[in-house]
Amino acid sequence: MSRVPFYLKERLENLKGRVLHEQFEASDLPAWERVVLTWAVLMAFWVVISASFGPGNLVTGAAVTLVIAAFMRDLLTADIRRTGHIVEKLLYFAFIYLPQYIVIMAFRLLESNLRVAKNVILMDINPGIIKIKTDLHSDTGIAILANSITLTPGTLTLDVNKKLGETYLYVHWIEVETLNREKAGEKIKGDIEEWLKKVFW
Amino acid sequence: MIEVFLMLFGEAVMVFGALGILRFPDVYTRLHAASKCDTGGAMGIILALILIMDAPAVVRAKFLVLAFLIAMINPMVSHAIARGAYKYGVKPKVVVDMYAWDNP
Repeated sequence: MSRVPFYLKERLENLKGRVLHEQFEASDLPAWERVVLTWAVLMAFWVVISASFGPGNLVTGAAVTLVIAAFMRDLLTADIRRTGHIVEKLLYFAFIYLPQYIVIMAFRLLESNLRVAKNVILMDINPGIIKIKTDLHSDTGIAILANSITLTPGTLTLDVNKKLGETYLYVHWIEVETLNREKAGEKIKGDIEEWLKKVFW
Repeated sequence: MIEVFLMLFGEAVMVFGALGILRFPDVYTRLHAASKCDTGGAMGIILALILIMDAPAVVRAKFLVLAFLIAMINPMVSHAIARGAYKYGVKPKVVVDMYAWDNP
């Protein structure tokens, strides 16, 4: 009597994990799109860093970055969530998602600076290490989420733990308000995770 | 006018970060002051420099690349220092430590 629900639950978790893996494999970008995306990013970086528009400079940069992009195509683009056509996705990213992220992070960075100044003056700290759960699965998404959490007010990421297909973050919180995992996650992650789930897997 | 405000903001935040490193009790709270105030102050000063500088736009874009690299690398380094300190055995002064519950 007591063993059957556990068995069924374990079986269901197994199946859910396999469906997630299949979706992840199916949502991979084709190879040439990955090469073109990496090439565009590297070429933009080359133009900005070298700061000259002579034809020899541009041709050299294009050739070298094409060779690098052909070899390193999975480095930047392996974790991008695929919905719709690639051009539509790029336009959405450049004109909606990226300004949204920059505005969110700029205001939270401002708030966190003011809050550290307040904490330094008043010394009203009550620190603790809290464990929260995220819904992201890819390495790039988790890395960007952890960096964003470090820059938001009052929190600092300590470690990441992947267990049974779920990802947990350990966060050092300078002023512990709640110990409940869901409430703490809502308060710490805010709308950054919603943003990241639209772009990364 | 706005570049003067940005410069003053960056320098004030840097001063508060240095004060925080001196006043906070242990490694982790000091890292709070270091990571946040360094990132915010450096980005304020870099934005002020972009506005002040008399140069073509491509040269100003280099400063934006610098700001992006600071915003990427600074939290990563503070995360590495915090994890290394914990693994080395520095005990945090905290009210609740869920990391020690899971790694006995």
